[in-house]
Amino acid sequence: METDNILQLQNVTKKFGDLVAVDNINFELKSSEIHAILGENGAGKSTLMNLIYGLYQPTSGNISISGIPTRLKSPKDAIAHGIGMVHQHFMLIENLTVAENIALTVAQFSSRKSPSPDSTDEKTQNLSKFRYKKDEAIQITDALSHKFNLDVDPNALIRTLSVGLKQRVEILKALAVDARILILDEPTAVLSPQEVTSFFSILRLLQADNRSIIFISHKMKEVLEVSDRITVLRNGKKVYQGKTGELSTRELAKEMIGEEISEIERKVTEATEELVLHISGLKVKGNRNEIAVSDITLKAYRGEIVGIAGVDGNGQRELAEAIMGLRTSVAGQIEILGRKPIGTKHIRQCGVGYIPEDRRSTGIITTFSVTENLMLNASQIENIAKWGIIDQKKRYKMASSLIETYDIRPPIADIAASTLSGGNQQKIVLAREISPQPELLIAVNPTRGLDINAAQYVHLNLLAQRTLKKSVLLISTELDEVLQLSDRLYVMSKGKLIDATKYRDDIETLGLFMTGETDTVA
Amino acid sequence: MPNLLTYYHNVKSSCLFYLEKYPRFINWIFSPILILSAAFITNGIVILLCGYNPIEAYIAAVVLTFGSFSGISETLVKGTPYLMTGLSVAIAFRCGIWNIGAEGQFLMGALAASFIGTKLATVLPNTSWIVIPLSFFVAIFAGGIWGVVPAILKITRGVNEVISTIMFNYIAIYFVSLMIDGGPLQETSKTGPQSDPIVLWARLPHILEPHRIHFGIVIAVILAAVLTYVLFRTTYGFQLRAVGEGAAAAEAAGISIPQNTLRVFCISGALAALGGAIELMALAPRLTHNFSPGYGYTAIAVALLAKLHPLLTIASALLFGALAEGSFAMESEVGISRQVTWMMQAIILLFVIGFGSISLFQKQSRVNLSVN
Repeated sequence: METDNILQLQNVTKKFGDLVAVDNINFELKSSEIHAILGENGAGKSTLMNLIYGLYQPTSGNISISGIPTRLKSPKDAIAHGIGMVHQHFMLIENLTVAENIALTVAQFSSRKSPSPDSTDEKTQNLSKFRYKKDEAIQITDALSHKFNLDVDPNALIRTLSVGLKQRVEILKALAVDARILILDEPTAVLSPQEVTSFFSILRLLQADNRSIIFISHKMKEVLEVSDRITVLRNGKKVYQGKTGELSTRELAKEMIGEEISEIERKVTEATEELVLHISGLKVKGNRNEIAVSDITLKAYRGEIVGIAGVDGNGQRELAEAIMGLRTSVAGQIEILGRKPIGTKHIRQCGVGYIPEDRRSTGIITTFSVTENLMLNASQIENIAKWGIIDQKKRYKMASSLIETYDIRPPIADIAASTLSGGNQQKIVLAREISPQPELLIAVNPTRGLDINAAQYVHLNLLAQRTLKKSVLLISTELDEVLQLSDRLYVMSKGKLIDATKYRDDIETLGLFMTGETDTVA
Repeated sequence: MPNLLTYYHNVKSSCLFYLEKYPRFINWIFSPILILSAAFITNGIVILLCGYNPIEAYIAAVVLTFGSFSGISETLVKGTPYLMTGLSVAIAFRCGIWNIGAEGQFLMGALAASFIGTKLATVLPNTSWIVIPLSFFVAIFAGGIWGVVPAILKITRGVNEVISTIMFNYIAIYFVSLMIDGGPLQETSKTGPQSDPIVLWARLPHILEPHRIHFGIVIAVILAAVLTYVLFRTTYGFQLRAVGEGAAAAEAAGISIPQNTLRVFCISGALAALGGAIELMALAPRLTHNFSPGYGYTAIAVALLAKLHPLLTIASALLFGALAEGSFAMESEVGISRQVTWMMQAIILLFVIGFGSISLFQKQSRVNLSVN
């Protein structure tokens, strides 16, 4: 057995009932390599990672760590074997400081089974389970932070940190328990282009420190930039493994989805003069009573897609919620087709559709059936009801035609929405919001967490709205998506909108806008 | 022996087959059965510790409760207040409103009915067709108010409804006390803390004399059916459930949460109050201090056992009626003291509340979810 394989999976299969989620996969992670895993949603990436992280046990096959066959019974087990995971959604306690979060993690996992020769471990042993030793915690956090150039203040409260810094604290947590193998799940999804660059340099430092990294991503460009090797999964099987650079972006995409994808063609059409959405001087407060949207003026005409790019948490959510009447504004006006509707129901009756950012909590009700979710629109439900009594025939017809048109799978009207994949859940939202042909569609991160095919499907639907001479407001953290689809482009940063249409070919400047460095450009 | 083994394996594999094929259905049927068996075994131990024979006690309970028409009639009669308050709780919880105030609403309904039945009815002699609907109407109104105030407090001031409805229970309990103990509703002879009996033409007729089975039961069952229809076949019910299961998604869809909160509090309060009125008008002609042995609180268990489904609430309420009747049987036949039988009912409630929300085969469904 090769000794430089720090992690090896042999013929690993994981079945859930009849479904084979991971099918006979061989995978090895070399010591100090960055290994990217590509695959569509449902390709088995997360199941594979959960097997490595001890959340699942394989149905058959072996997992070896440093050449020793190991059974990982729980994440705690995995951590004890030096495997750390940085989740897409951070697992941090918001009201504690960085050092306190680190100390908590260390206290939880202080009984290491195989202490490595690394010195940090000795130090972390001093953090007792029962007493919080503040100075030591700060010292350890600081030392690790300096070593890997993470630049995190140990005394800062987590809730005051930006998303990028929170991610670094997550990495710190893994390093504090001396993880030799780091699993990063879609780490760049929440970062601006500049933050991505510095994030990659951190990855290189970790690599130089003899740590191995598994990097899960949808973004081909980043994978090609940072990884040493690439593994592509499709339908639970490994379809490709090789050195980075062997295959082009296009060839990798083909491996991922099994067929070539066609680039979306975007016809240039002139927007009309008719104003659909007119926001002026809008001011909205966020959940912590801070000014989240400050003095925004925005117009959207018929037949155009207005794109708003920006890093998460810069007021995009609050802006969308204010337009939908879900959040009261402090000042300013929102006019839709010349009217000033009050309340979400009235706004929807004026012809506004809404694809919310948070699919599972705001887009659908997971415990409701597919049909019930398709009905979930107060301005449309009257179409299938009379005197408040729902017409079962109309309801059935509506559901089956939408399921067919939008290809929702499985095509069963009565199963709970929670049993559908993310892409199909999003199709429910699309079907419900687009089929009434809204004059204005507000789409917030409409492709988050979707695979290439599903994302393209969403994009085609947005473009179709534009062809129908409707108006679309696309708010997204995916810069590529906004660039590809929008006719006019804004960047939202710290609650303000920056008109960035003329910089659409200048990624560098857009990146500066996104990080709030407007002065250097203007 | 090998035969027995093969038999065992056959049974096991067919069980597993059905479990995989109909996990939800099997779960639905078996988890209440399992919970109740565990409760009865625990209660058997309690009876044993108190020095009685549990088997004898259970036999007495079963024979007296189900062995005769009068036993069945009593089960139905005792189940009715549980059904009305249970429906009240079920509909509120469905909308995500934690209305603990069924007790107070029940009492306010009874108070309203007793006011009509003892005071106003005397000026309308022999007019059942006016007095009975009027009693119902006033009771519903009183219960509605008892629900609307916590609703308004919640909507405008963000007051947690659990706290406000519990406070409203206290207000109702002592308000009733005040009214019948020195207050205007006390009996004319002023001897005890109770109201006059309501006049004959304000009483709900019994279906089969001499049994106590009455028309209130019919009303309650019809209401359960109507509520099921409203919940699952109308836009009102749809919106109500949407608010309960996903408030954020409902709000984004344009469903008004304040409007539904107000609506559901009214319905919930009205149902419990109507229950109180029915109980008074059909059985107890007088309003007394111990008119309700905590129906409104037990109702939470009734509704949870029925998984908040109005039709299942009928079955669940009947079970509680049977328990009450069974306790009575154990007391009168075996001599188990009332305190012990009340304790036993509480133990059953604990089992139901403690394990009722946990699905037996939850693990399996969790795995199914994670695949997708």
